[in-house]
Amino acid sequence: MKKKRDGLRLPTGMVLFVFALWAVLLFPGGAMGDEKEKKDLPPRAIEVAPEYTGVIVPVGDDVSVDLTVANKGRKDEFIDLSLTQIPEGWTARIKTYSFDVTGVYLGSDKSKSLTLKAEPKEGTGPGKYTFGIQGRTQDGELVSNSKVTITTTAKVEEKKAKGVNLNTSYPVLQGPTDAKFEFSVEVENKTDKDSIFNLSAAGPANWELNFKPAYEDKFISSLRLKERQSQSVALEVKPYLMAEAGNYPITVKVSSPDARAEAELTVVLTGTYKMDIGTPTGLLSLTAMRGEPSNVSFYVKNSGSAVQNNLRFMSVKPENWKVEFKPEKIETLPPGETKQIEMTVSPAAQALVGDYSLNVMAEGERTNKNLEFRVSVKASSVWGWIGIGIIVLVLLGLVGLFVYVGRR
Amino acid sequence: MGGLIAIYRKELGDYFSSYRFVILFALIAMVSFITSYIAAISLRESIAQDAMRGRFLFLMLFSTEGARFSMIQFVAFFGPLIGLFLGFDAINRERAHGTLVKMVSQPIYRDAVINGKFLAGVTVITVMIVAIVLVISGFGLTLLGVVPEVEEILRIAVYVVISIFYISFWLGVSILFSILFRSTATSALASVAAWILLSFVIFFGASAVANAVAPVDQRGGGDMETLMRNVQITETVSLFSPMVLYTNSTATIVDPKVKTTKSFILQGPWEQILSTRFQNPLSLSQSLVVVIPHLISLVAITFICFAVSYTVFMVQEIKM
Repeated sequence: MKKKRDGLRLPTGMVLFVFALWAVLLFPGGAMGDEKEKKDLPPRAIEVAPEYTGVIVPVGDDVSVDLTVANKGRKDEFIDLSLTQIPEGWTARIKTYSFDVTGVYLGSDKSKSLTLKAEPKEGTGPGKYTFGIQGRTQDGELVSNSKVTITTTAKVEEKKAKGVNLNTSYPVLQGPTDAKFEFSVEVENKTDKDSIFNLSAAGPANWELNFKPAYEDKFISSLRLKERQSQSVALEVKPYLMAEAGNYPITVKVSSPDARAEAELTVVLTGTYKMDIGTPTGLLSLTAMRGEPSNVSFYVKNSGSAVQNNLRFMSVKPENWKVEFKPEKIETLPPGETKQIEMTVSPAAQALVGDYSLNVMAEGERTNKNLEFRVSVKASSVWGWIGIGIIVLVLLGLVGLFVYVGRR
Repeated sequence: MGGLIAIYRKELGDYFSSYRFVILFALIAMVSFITSYIAAISLRESIAQDAMRGRFLFLMLFSTEGARFSMIQFVAFFGPLIGLFLGFDAINRERAHGTLVKMVSQPIYRDAVINGKFLAGVTVITVMIVAIVLVISGFGLTLLGVVPEVEEILRIAVYVVISIFYISFWLGVSILFSILFRSTATSALASVAAWILLSFVIFFGASAVANAVAPVDQRGGGDMETLMRNVQITETVSLFSPMVLYTNSTATIVDPKVKTTKSFILQGPWEQILSTRFQNPLSLSQSLVVVIPHLISLVAITFICFAVSYTVFMVQEIKM
């Protein structure tokens, strides 16, 4: 490749090129070939050539282009290097790794790599800028010129913001208020540098938001990522227990000194379904005469944060008993509200006296609650009084008998 | 009135001094003691096993089966014998010895004779029952070391009253027979026959009637309704036996956990589960309400039996 470029650059090298090509074809490699090639070199020839003759960079970026300085002749050469053309608004120099270079010594058939470093000054707009580079031997016999064209284009604004990326597969989570939500967020470092990213999340007041590494149980607030690396982070969300049902947005921010990103997550709270059931006095026993209705009232309280619909009441009772509720069902019960239910219990007429367990169930759509009553069934003492009446009648009869047939 | 008291005193003296009474009393007292002693021993062992029995331990002294039968069952079977022995020759012996005529020639009313005899019998019965119950309670206190609750004492008192009425009924029956039959042997036999009939034979009669009306396949099977009807008829017929009335009522009074006098009841599965949820004993008033028909019947037949004896004696010709 080098030889080919030689040919293009120098008119004197034309013959050389053909010759060299022939030589390469004839003697592919080997010390023999090298020696022969060296022998066939012209007496004197130098060359200065850039690696790229034209580059395109964004506005404001520095440009470094490798330069090859070569001695193609048989004689060792001292070559002075200079920049013949520096466009307006740029500074340019030729340098090695550590310092600027103005001249170079090259032995026969040797070459050296240097760097053309071009830096735009502040405010240099987009455009086409040509840099001229000249190499010349100290005696001024040989001169080699080359050019590098830098085209600057307007900077794409996004490019820097895209330094970090936030991804989540499930941006919306739904659940009851007393649940714990866990978002999985993937943080991707798109820059070429290692960075520490700060994690922050903003949600509704009183909510608990914590970042955790995936599958680990500790809280983190920052994350170190290598270049082009991505890692997933869990965001644990504990809603405020008194929060009402609804949609709650949560903003997640990732920021490093030179990159930042945001993602919007949403928690949909369905509210909690909780119910309390009991009697106003706390007394869960009642007395009932068999065959006769007896009343007791209990309350149902919606202690959750969601509206409960279609509350129905059921009872587990002995056969032949009658248990009625008034009202039979509650259509809607908003959170925090209490409703009183009248229950009428009628034990079977043939029921044995004693204590029975009566289970009352309040059944909502999502939750239910039990209440156990102790029903003491008693027999009415009416028959007892009738019996005593009979005894009294018998005694009266006896007395009548004494009076009627006695005293003889 | 003076005549009644005189006869009452005389009769009491006769009863307490007669060998017949002493032997009978000794027999019954002894068997009762042995029964309740065995019951107490076995109770004491079971207390050690489970402390859960807790309440009404004292009552179990009377209702726990000692040697094959409990104190209550024993009184139910053999208590009538006391009444029968006390009364089977009350009138006809006087008549046979010719003392009845002498007696009514005294300045006493005729009804004082039968009233005095009956009251003296009841007093003897009361003394016997109270003595036996008190002695057994004393046993219980020593053997079990349990002090009875107020409700237990009340229940025992009710039990004593029922027992007095029960035995008094048989006293009335035997007095009636002694009025009806001239020979003491006949009235004794008739009394015992009545006892056997009403206490034992009636069960065969009851099941015979029940099987005739509502036949039940003896090898099992058959529907529940027929079985229930059969049982119901058996129990209804059995109620003619004073012993059944007595056993049912005392069992309910002495054991607060007994909720019905029926031996068979049809219960739905839920009813069964829900009623066993709370194993609470009944209160005394509820126990009384449960057995009030039995108590009323027992008291009523006692009075009626006495009234019949009284009427028969009053209208009867004495000088024969």
